[in-house]
Amino acid sequence: MVLKNLDDLKKLVEGGPRKKLVLAAAQDQHSLGAVVRAREENIIEPILIGDKELIHNICLSNNYNIDGLRIVHEPDIEKSVEIAVKMVSNKQADILMKGKIGSPSLLKIVLNREWGLRTGNLLSHFALFEVNTYHKVFAVTDVAMNIAPNLKEKIAIVNNGVGCLNRLGYIMPKVAVLGAVEMVNENMGATLDAALLSKMNQRDQIRNCIIDGPLAFDNAVSLESAQYKGIKSEVAGDTDLLLMPDIEVGNVLYKSLVFFAKAKVASIILGAMVPIVLTSRSDSEQAKFDSILLAAAASK
Amino acid sequence: MIRTLYQIEEKVLLLKKKFRIAVAWAQDKNSIGAIYNAVNKGFVEAIMIGNSTDLISICKKENIDEKLFTIIDVENEKIASLEAVRLTKKGDADIVMKGLVGTDKFLKAVMDKKNGLMLPNAVLSYVGVMEIPSYHKLLFITDPAVIPFPDLDQKIAMAGYAIEMARRFGVERPKIALLGASEKMSRHFENSVDYAIMCKMAERGQIKNCVMDGPLDLFLACDKNSIAVKGVETPVNGDADILVFPSLESSNPFYKGLMLFANGELAGLIRGTEKPVIVISRSESEKSKYFCIALSCLMA
Repeated sequence: MVLKNLDDLKKLVEGGPRKKLVLAAAQDQHSLGAVVRAREENIIEPILIGDKELIHNICLSNNYNIDGLRIVHEPDIEKSVEIAVKMVSNKQADILMKGKIGSPSLLKIVLNREWGLRTGNLLSHFALFEVNTYHKVFAVTDVAMNIAPNLKEKIAIVNNGVGCLNRLGYIMPKVAVLGAVEMVNENMGATLDAALLSKMNQRDQIRNCIIDGPLAFDNAVSLESAQYKGIKSEVAGDTDLLLMPDIEVGNVLYKSLVFFAKAKVASIILGAMVPIVLTSRSDSEQAKFDSILLAAAASK
Repeated sequence: MIRTLYQIEEKVLLLKKKFRIAVAWAQDKNSIGAIYNAVNKGFVEAIMIGNSTDLISICKKENIDEKLFTIIDVENEKIASLEAVRLTKKGDADIVMKGLVGTDKFLKAVMDKKNGLMLPNAVLSYVGVMEIPSYHKLLFITDPAVIPFPDLDQKIAMAGYAIEMARRFGVERPKIALLGASEKMSRHFENSVDYAIMCKMAERGQIKNCVMDGPLDLFLACDKNSIAVKGVETPVNGDADILVFPSLESSNPFYKGLMLFANGELAGLIRGTEKPVIVISRSESEKSKYFCIALSCLMA
């Protein structure tokens, strides 16, 4: 199935068992709002870890219904995250979500060598966009975690993204490796990596997807642009996943899609044992909800 | 289309042209024999530069009429090389050929910045064409003689020269295999990185008029059965016209091995020069030298 919009993710979770989402340091209004709504829409079954009194106060003053919700009282923020992470590693929860704690602190605990959520894979950020000027949703990676990935890291990032899309029902997602131009240019490292990734894909060293690159952004998302330039590519104009050359390109693209193209976006962290919802304060309530939805759909 | 080394001569005769060849330090039995053969066939006029006493005595011994040649007497091999290059650069000869002089001394004259024959910014390289009884077509190989460890730009130039030559033989879109020890991409094999970049460049039209794939091992490049067994999808498909080698140490034993053990024959030429330059090992047979002369006329 090809997802036309983020709402289509609901079709993937409907009917299945509700995924257990554990919200670490749950005393956070923004996160609670999204979690409560996702529960009401039958998308997840939340478990809240944090300061029980603060959680109750926030829910009371915002009219969030948390009747029957499991809450584990742990006022210490880092300890509450530790409890949440251990729940996941003990298979008691399917999704981890960040509450009132900074991302670096949360990730440090996630990566604990004894009981953390390491799989040996690189962690990477995966964002799914819906814009009304493209015929389907498309994913962008990595716009938030890996700063300047080298080839090995790019392979890991692609594998994370492709794995996620495979779980969302894409059998052979089309991956565009983004460059400033579609030509190979020895002075632009991103175009060289793109050529290597394409070849590794041809040789079955990166599987379950079709990779082409370098593709400039216009060629990646517009068949007309690609045809105008005479590019023969299975991916051009029909991209499912856009691999960013670095975080600076990715972050600006992400934000310009949100601010100028009024894109809807859902995002999660991949590469750990389970999807991690790690939205930021500046994300809209809708984006947080959609991210939970994506995590539920992408969880195994 | 030219399918055997003997057919080069047929094609050259059709041009109905006489090519003027300047031979540097020409008092070598095999060179004289080969040149004499070409003069006799009517497509070459020879300017023999060397020790005239020795030249004439060899001619007498071989029953060759030395009056068929223009003989220029010079003192030593260095002057002979300079003179041969000078005549060619000036336009008094179309092709320059190495006789008894060492390759390094000869190439020094060819590569001289002011008086040499190099095209501006060109890569000096060597393309050979082999006739191997057990292979179903002529096989162009590069570079078995000049560049020890070609970098990416040199590999691109090598491929370009080989494509140009194959096309002159009538192979419109030659299949190029970029050779490695395996078809897999690996950071342990730096050449595989260059190969992936080149393939993408060919796909994007930055290297034209060819079908390119690599890394491929020799079996996948030249043997259809291996393709079937290994299940590797490659447009070269065991039917390579051109082999690009990663190093001189791999290409040189390849062609010598085929000559020694598989009745292979080689004709070859220096590329990157204004006019064809024939460099051939002093120990090569008269027949090899003759093929090289015919090839140089074809490429002139």
